Amino acid sequence: MNLLLILSGKIVIFISKILNLGNGSTWPGHIALNIDKNFIKNIIEKNKDLKIILIAGTNGKTTTGKLIQTILEGSGKRVFQNTAGANLLNGVVSSLTKFSSISGKINFDYAIFEIDENTLPLILKNIKPEIIILINLFRDQLDRYGEVNAISKKWKDALASLGSKTSLILNSDDPQIAYLGDAIKNEVKYFGVKGRKLQNTEHASDSTYCPKCGNKLSYRTITFSHLGDWKCSKGELKRPKTDLENFEFYPLPGLYNKYNTNAAVLTARELGISNEKIKKALTSFQPAFGRQEIIKYKNKKIQIFLSKNPASFNQSLNIITELKATHLLIILNDRIPDGRDVSWIWDVDFEKYLENSTEISVAGDRACDMALRLKYAGMDNFKTYESLKIAVTEALKGAHDNEILYTLPTYSAMLDLRKILTGKSIL
Amino acid sequence: MKNRQSSIVNRQYYITIGWLYPELMSTYGDRGNIICLAKRCEWRKIGVQAINLNEGFSPKLLNGVDILFMGGAQDTQQGIVSKDFTSRKIEALKSKIEGGTPGLYICGAYQFLGKYYKEADGNKIKGLDIFDLYTEHPGVGKERLIGNIAIKTSDGSVVVGFENHGGRTYLGKNLKPFGQVIKGYGNNSIDGTEGAIYKNSIGTYLHGPILPKNPLLADYLIKTALKVKYGKDLELEKLDDSLEEKARMAIAKRLQIAI
Repeated sequence: MNLLLILSGKIVIFISKILNLGNGSTWPGHIALNIDKNFIKNIIEKNKDLKIILIAGTNGKTTTGKLIQTILEGSGKRVFQNTAGANLLNGVVSSLTKFSSISGKINFDYAIFEIDENTLPLILKNIKPEIIILINLFRDQLDRYGEVNAISKKWKDALASLGSKTSLILNSDDPQIAYLGDAIKNEVKYFGVKGRKLQNTEHASDSTYCPKCGNKLSYRTITFSHLGDWKCSKGELKRPKTDLENFEFYPLPGLYNKYNTNAAVLTARELGISNEKIKKALTSFQPAFGRQEIIKYKNKKIQIFLSKNPASFNQSLNIITELKATHLLIILNDRIPDGRDVSWIWDVDFEKYLENSTEISVAGDRACDMALRLKYAGMDNFKTYESLKIAVTEALKGAHDNEILYTLPTYSAMLDLRKILTGKSIL
Repeated sequence: MKNRQSSIVNRQYYITIGWLYPELMSTYGDRGNIICLAKRCEWRKIGVQAINLNEGFSPKLLNGVDILFMGGAQDTQQGIVSKDFTSRKIEALKSKIEGGTPGLYICGAYQFLGKYYKEADGNKIKGLDIFDLYTEHPGVGKERLIGNIAIKTSDGSVVVGFENHGGRTYLGKNLKPFGQVIKGYGNNSIDGTEGAIYKNSIGTYLHGPILPKNPLLADYLIKTALKVKYGKDLELEKLDDSLEEKARMAIAKRLQIAI
């Protein structure tokens, strides 16, 4: 049965490629799962030498996965990863199909799967991973997922029944994530980032209350949002001691990428790779689709910063402010991968970052909502477009050859934008 | 120059917005409502400040508040707020609402003003019992009511927004709904009502930033606050709301309704 499913999956992938429908990264899995619920379990059992690394969290899954892949490949390992964004069960199955032979043999050392927040408990029923990396939990797509606290509770329950073989790599600075390492029998390593003394919390904070007892948390230092050196004001829970805070080389700018890199480095160390090899591999790192990716278009440069929730949007704004952006295109969609509710844009600190000297274009299905947000942030230098293609063309017209057009799209908007810029779709 | 005189006049007016539990009851961009109220006052040269009424605030602070706002929350957070509402605080809030202080209470806050909230597992949480309504969750696994929504209020204007709630709210006989559902679910997806209005307080499921896309509602709160505070009807200066109108039309088009 497996053989047939793998074969049909491969045919779907092939046809989607030929017809330029994207890489066929979810369909084959969808079909296989409908026919055989135990597809994942069965194929994994056949490949006992394949080590699996799972990555979950609201922001940074794709970049962290790509960083780990780069490091592992730099030490001669054979690695594959599920396609960015195809992080539900069907995406995992599709990638297993793609990288296995027709008989179900997978000739790789490592599989890295980025996993959607809600899918993590499900996948743990099917897979015994070598390592699980949990990066952070921010507000994201509440219309789909429910609440941050609810997800963290589901994770805690799922992790309680892990086999002892699995190690955890956790973010010490995110209270909800660090708490997952509390009272667990598995090996746990923590990564964090050195913060600054607390002034005013940015607005988009999610868990300023103790995940264990519900009392208020106090922060000695903060990096961004609710990440920092935290401590419960009443109980004994506090930021655990970190195993890695600073590495000698960071391939991408931005505090959030410091977290992603630290998570990847700590994972690589756990797998026995030397600092020297890690550093060497990281110097050749290329960003993932839409994650600070630079694309040349009509002789001009466009850089894409996927911005899908208040935390990632604030971080994108922070970076482009440091880069002294002169031209900015914001694209807001409300399709299912973006979350149908766009209320979150009011939690983004536009007031803090944007200046009236930047030329701003706004596009996407919910361009009007974004325009309104900018108006109430005191901006009056923006133009709103119904068509993304026209928005890109017009925004580029204003940019000189040496200026970069910075774009901040939501998820599906990023895919639309890349399609315009490269002529191909990803998913 | 036309506005100069009125702006001098307007400087006499001052509004304090009281944001109840911004750290706990703020899940869906609720801050947008505070930003909207403040900006629409500023643009008219009406003095404005927003004060945060966080966990442990003194009930005396409520005395100086002209507009009250409280947003939605995650369940755990709602539990903390519930504990923080001492009987003195409940009395203070009740007397503000009974005295006509305008307010906007969204989602979790709206449910909280009622008699009780019955959770999915049957557990009953007592409400503040200021609004004659109760809310019940239909049970684990029952669908949440999620999506874009448009309602018609009693004055005939259309309010648009987004709703996302598990609880179903039922109004008492004498409590007026905030509006009738045109598209969406509303209080309970059965009786066609949405929200509730009592004195000058509005409870609604249209969550997060309801005011920016509904400037009429924002202005109603400001106007009412001035009336209660200064005892006279003041005509608010008209603002250019063309962008707001465009954003409203975009939702109307999406919902395939005329507004």
